[in-house]
Amino acid sequence: MLQYIVIALLGALAAVLANTGVAVFNDGFRPIVSEYREGQIDRKALAVTSFALSFGLVVGFGIPVSLAATVILIHSVALGTDIIGSFCPEGKVGMAISAVIGAVYGIGIVYGLQFIVDLFSKLPINFLDSLSQVGTPITIAFAIFPAVAVGLEYGFKKATLTAAVTLLVYQLTVRFGTIPMGNSKITLNASGMALLAGMIFLIVFAVRDKSDASNTNEQLVTVFSEKVKRIQKNVPILAVMGGLVAMATSLSLVIGDPISQNLVSEGDMMSAAMAALARAIGFIPLIATTAITTGVYSPVGMTFVFVVGLLVHNPVIAFVLGAVVITLEVLLLSSVAKFLDKFPGVRKCGDNIRTAMGRVLNISLLLGGMMAAQAIAPGIGIFVIVALYVLNKFSKKPIVEMAIGPVGAISVGILVNILYLLGLYTVAK
Amino acid sequence: MKKIVVGGQIDKQRIASMVETIAGDQATVEVKGDIEAAMAVKTGAADLYLGACNTGGGGALAMAIAILGLSSCSTISMPGNIKSEEEIKAEVEAGKKAFGFTAQDIDVVVPVLLKYVL
Repeated sequence: MLQYIVIALLGALAAVLANTGVAVFNDGFRPIVSEYREGQIDRKALAVTSFALSFGLVVGFGIPVSLAATVILIHSVALGTDIIGSFCPEGKVGMAISAVIGAVYGIGIVYGLQFIVDLFSKLPINFLDSLSQVGTPITIAFAIFPAVAVGLEYGFKKATLTAAVTLLVYQLTVRFGTIPMGNSKITLNASGMALLAGMIFLIVFAVRDKSDASNTNEQLVTVFSEKVKRIQKNVPILAVMGGLVAMATSLSLVIGDPISQNLVSEGDMMSAAMAALARAIGFIPLIATTAITTGVYSPVGMTFVFVVGLLVHNPVIAFVLGAVVITLEVLLLSSVAKFLDKFPGVRKCGDNIRTAMGRVLNISLLLGGMMAAQAIAPGIGIFVIVALYVLNKFSKKPIVEMAIGPVGAISVGILVNILYLLGLYTVAK
Repeated sequence: MKKIVVGGQIDKQRIASMVETIAGDQATVEVKGDIEAAMAVKTGAADLYLGACNTGGGGALAMAIAILGLSSCSTISMPGNIKSEEEIKAEVEAGKKAFGFTAQDIDVVVPVLLKYVL
C-alpha cells in the first residue's frame, strides 16, 4: 500500500512541476520550457514537443527495460509526467488536473507492469525466470565503463591499463576480500571495488588534464543569474520532489538507470549505489548547464537522490536525506559550475562517462537478451535477437538500441507461446 | 569551406571522424564542449553545429537551443523516428544551423545531412 501512495505522490508532484515549468525530466525539454516561458512558443507547441521528445522513450525504452528487471526505470514515470504536465492548462486548475492525472499515471505504471508480469506467468510456457537473464551480463560487466571513458579521452593504452587494474582489483577482492571481524566477517563486493578502482583512475586522469581551461561556466552563471535565482526560489518544492524520489528508490519502486536497476534486481545494493554515484558524477555538467541556462531543474536533480535511496533502507530517512541532497545541489549550482571551469578534464569526463555507460549497456543488454532468448527457446531465441538487431538498422522507426535485448527476449517469450498454441512448438520435458 | 563544430553529449569523436571522412577538405571539424560549440556558431566562428545524445533533442541540442534559439535548431532523429532525406534537406534550406540526433542513428543521418550542407 505504501508503495502505491509513494508512487502516486511522486507522479502527482512531478506532473505539477512540469505543468508549472519548475522542473522537467527530459534534458532536451528544459530549453523548450524556457522558450515557452519567454513567449517564443505557445502552450500547444510546448505540449506537442514534449510528446515528440518523450513518448518514444517511454514506450520504446523505459517500459520494456523495466519489464525485464522488475524495478521501474524512472524514465517510465518522469517522461510521462513531463508530457502530462505540459498538456494540462496553466493556472490553479491546470495544476490540480496535472496532479490527479500524474498520480493515476504513477499508480498505473506500477499496477500495469505488475499486471503484465502476472499475465506472463499464466501463459502455457512461463518465460519469466529466463527473462531475468537479460540483466546478467550488465551486473558483471558494468565495472568496465570507467576504462571506456578513459579510452574516449586518453586513448587505447591508458584504457587498457585501467581495464587491467579493474580486473585485477576484481579478482583480488574475490580471493582475499573476506575480512574476519570477531565472530562475523565482512565480504567486500568485488564488482563494486573494481568499479571504484576504475573510477579513481578516470578521476585522476581527468583532474590532471588542464588543457583548454576556460571560464565558460563562470560566464554562463553571470549571464543567466536570473534563471539560477528562479530555480533557487523553488528549492522547497524541489526538495520534496527529491525526497519522494529517494523514498521510492529505497522502497525498490523506481531506479535511475539500467545498470543499477539490474544490480538491484540481483539484490546487490552496494554495487548499485556505486554505479548510480558514478553516473551522477557524469550527469553533473549536463544538468548544471541546462538548468543554469534555462531556469528549469530536473525532478530527480543531478540523480544523487538515487544513491541516497539505494544506501538508506528506511524510507522516511531516505526522504529527509533526499530532500537535503537536492537542496544542496540547487544552492551550490553556481559554485559547482564555476568549480568545473577549473577542471576542464572533469567536464569532458562527464560527456565521456555517459558515452561509455551507453556503449557498455548496449552490448551487455544485447548479450543478455540473447542469453535470455536462448534460455526461453533454445535455437530460435538467438536467431530472433540477431535478426531484430540487424533488421532494426533498416527501419525508418528503429527501436532504441539498448532496448533490443529486452524487447527481443520478451518477443521470443510471446512467440513461443503463440507457436505452442498453434502446435508448432513443444517443450522438452 | 564550412566550419563544423561537434557539441552535444555523447559519441563526439565518432561524429567528428565521420564528418572528416565524408567532407575531406570541404570542411574543418572541431570537437568542443556543447556551450563553446553553440557560442562558436552564435559568434560566427563556425557555420554548423552537430550533436548527438540518446534522445536526439535532449542533451544534443539543449545548449544550442538555449544559446541560438529554437528556430535555428533541428532534431533530425529521435528514438523511433528518423527524418527522411527530403525533410532533412528542407531543414537545411530553412537555414537551420544546429542539428541534433540520437547516437544510434549517426551512420544514417550524418551522411545525408552533409550532402546538403556542404
